[in-house]
Amino acid sequence: MKAVYGLYPSGASAQQAVNRLRAAGLADREITILSAQPMEDFEFGHIDKATYMWWFACLGGLVGMSIGFGLSWVTEMSWPINVGGLPTWAWWPNLIIIFELTMLGAILATIITLVVTGLLPSKGQTLYDPEVTDGQILVGVENPVDSRVGDFQKALEAPNGARVKTL
Amino acid sequence: MARWGMAADLDRCNGCGGCVVACHAENNISTVGPEQASRGRAKHWIRVERYWEGDFPDVKLKFRPTMCQQCGNAPCEPVCPTYASHHTEDGLNAQVYNRCIGTRYCANACPYNARFFDFFNPSWEKPLQLQLNPDVSLREVGVMEKCTFCVQRIRGTQTTAKTEGREIRDGEIQPACVQACSTRALVFGDLEDRESEVSRLSRSPRGSKLLEDVGTRPAVTYLARLTEEA
Amino acid sequence: MTHPTGSQINRDLLHPLFNTSWRFYLLVAIFGGIVLFGLATWFTQTVNGYGVTGIRWPVYWGFYVTSFVFWIGISHAGTLISAILRLVNAGWRRPVTRCAEVITAFALIIGALFPIIHLGRPWLAFWMFPYPSERLIWPNFRSPLVWDFFAINTYLTGSLLFLYLPIIPDFAIVRDKSTGLRRKIYGALALGWRGTPKQWHRLETAMQIMAIAIIPVAVSVHTIVSFDFSMAPVPTWNTTIFGPYFVAGAIFSGIAGLLIAMAVLRKFLHLEAYLHPLHFENLGKLMLVMALLWGYFVFNERLVTYYGNEPAEMSVYWRTQSGTFAPLFWTMVICNFVLPLILMGIRRFRTITGCVIASIGVVIGMWLERFLIIVPALGHKYLPYSYGIYRPTPPEIIVASSTFAAMALLYVLFAKVVPIISIWELKAGEHPSPELLPPATEEHRLGDLHL
Repeated sequence: MKAVYGLYPSGASAQQAVNRLRAAGLADREITILSAQPMEDFEFGHIDKATYMWWFACLGGLVGMSIGFGLSWVTEMSWPINVGGLPTWAWWPNLIIIFELTMLGAILATIITLVVTGLLPSKGQTLYDPEVTDGQILVGVENPVDSRVGDFQKALEAPNGARVKTL
Repeated sequence: MARWGMAADLDRCNGCGGCVVACHAENNISTVGPEQASRGRAKHWIRVERYWEGDFPDVKLKFRPTMCQQCGNAPCEPVCPTYASHHTEDGLNAQVYNRCIGTRYCANACPYNARFFDFFNPSWEKPLQLQLNPDVSLREVGVMEKCTFCVQRIRGTQTTAKTEGREIRDGEIQPACVQACSTRALVFGDLEDRESEVSRLSRSPRGSKLLEDVGTRPAVTYLARLTEEA
Repeated sequence: MTHPTGSQINRDLLHPLFNTSWRFYLLVAIFGGIVLFGLATWFTQTVNGYGVTGIRWPVYWGFYVTSFVFWIGISHAGTLISAILRLVNAGWRRPVTRCAEVITAFALIIGALFPIIHLGRPWLAFWMFPYPSERLIWPNFRSPLVWDFFAINTYLTGSLLFLYLPIIPDFAIVRDKSTGLRRKIYGALALGWRGTPKQWHRLETAMQIMAIAIIPVAVSVHTIVSFDFSMAPVPTWNTTIFGPYFVAGAIFSGIAGLLIAMAVLRKFLHLEAYLHPLHFENLGKLMLVMALLWGYFVFNERLVTYYGNEPAEMSVYWRTQSGTFAPLFWTMVICNFVLPLILMGIRRFRTITGCVIASIGVVIGMWLERFLIIVPALGHKYLPYSYGIYRPTPPEIIVASSTFAAMALLYVLFAKVVPIISIWELKAGEHPSPELLPPATEEHRLGDLHL
């Protein structure tokens, strides 16, 4: 038994399914929910919302800023070339380089955080059904304990319009 | 450390253009032919600008030999992305051809239009290719070039003086234009040395810099022409 | 007016991906041919020497730099406008954002080509990269061109990612709907997207961070492009107004480009049900605001120059006002100010056709604006002896105009492989009818702005 899951036509029935799985003793992280659009009108759409992405973006910005500062400082000071009587290391022009690299750092850190925390597949979380694309909402349990599959099936079948499948 | 400069006495200049020819010969500046020249591709590191004043028949003709002014605060330098245009310690505004990628930004920034772009690879009509100066590199297509104050002569004389264990004498270094000037309108030398002729002329009350208000601190001083009214 | 739902959206928007008509091949052949011709022309220019262009002493920048600034300007339509609309959560943005972001990505790529095309030695363009080289020299970080390099690369990276992120769920849709090799390719592009609440949250948070980060970058990019001019002591260039003037002009021409692209998409991909007159009207209003802003900047620039009465600047001033360049100057004023003011200011004309006519005018006008900033000033720089007149030659004209075909080609190809309207965002907006749309700020389906 790899997975047991139900497909629901509406957010409300999916919400019921989630609630019943919880009542059957499952924690949020053991329930798999898939939808073709963000479901923020429903409680289940807010599971696992906490993220440090903002902080990682700031961190990336700081790294970028340091690279920008270091790059301009090290290269200009190690080979001072006089151009037009400007100071060898001048704040104003180099601030532009520092700014651009700060933003680049923040952007790249955001993307890396997204890919690592959101997109890289975790072990044992591969449940998928192409019908999700057509607007069905999938609620299911991956790698359930065999003895409890019956309970889960019952819980998933309860809401209106449910179609329960097993893999 | 010297600071090289030039003085151009407009009272002496008769606009003969000898400096232009000498410069072309000394610095391996390729000629482009009349057709390209009419399209603005001629490269005259030094040019004799002609200005007419007054209405016919009371016309006065003025000449101004114009070359790179070797600015102290050169607008062409900071805009170069590859340091092809930069300042040497002796105040020369250097152009490193090998670093140039041809953005032409320096030429736009130059208020004197003293910089020239190589639109084509250089070529000479036979037998002119036999008289190329071995001390000056040829410039390939796509780079900027300009007056160097004949830096090859400066460095050559510096080396000679060093091996002979002496200072450089005033007037010992002569860029090609100075050497060729039959009226001795152009004088070259060290501006730091207050005794040198160029230094003396630069302090003359007749002296002024070209486009001084742009703030470029040029190393070339023009001595005004004395007219009857003045 | 009908409002498609769920699987209807899938069907309509995936239709161009799975069905290819002869028109597609024809368009690709035509645009591709023009692009190849342009590339060949550039190649001959590189081989024969830069002399085949009309560039001359002392006008060392011409069509290529004009096109560079123009395309970078067009690129400000997409990501910047999309980011602002996302941040204020304007509901009507949903069908618009992707076609806007695509413009940014392609216009930036094309724009960034021009500095290379215009180089005297384009094969050495990589010397702008900051890397420890055997030449033991680094780029000059005090040069505006190096600022350009950093700004454009940051903006391009950001824009491409900003475009890619919201496509990921749509790639997943295409993956599920297709078979064979196509399924494999789209599966790889979808990066294992499944649609868990966690993934949706992460995606939306990432989009918010990107939107916030990309706005200052976009502003900085065109400011820095303007610095290419304002950092040089050329009459009428060295002015503080250039930064905001260029940014406003960029957004202005960007909106015009977006309106044209939307009208074309609507017509040829039959997206009447998705791109409503309301979208055109809203963007048209935005264009009206930018036209007024542009007029304000031009008025300032002209009047301040006139009262400053600096001789070198005045000679350039009169050259554009009543001299050689006057016909171009007044065409620009009509295209950029009079035309959009009439067409976008009067409600009756603010239709799709009106928007397109005004936009074409603005695109022409903004191209002229950049030309009029660059060329007259360079030809009239201080010393009268060295005045010069620039005339473009066929190679320059061919290369510059073939980039319009390049833009069209890239757009056609993109619309062929990616749904040009964001499917999931449209669904998430529950496709409310435009008449019933709540005020923009009340719409918070994609989460609130966490600041």
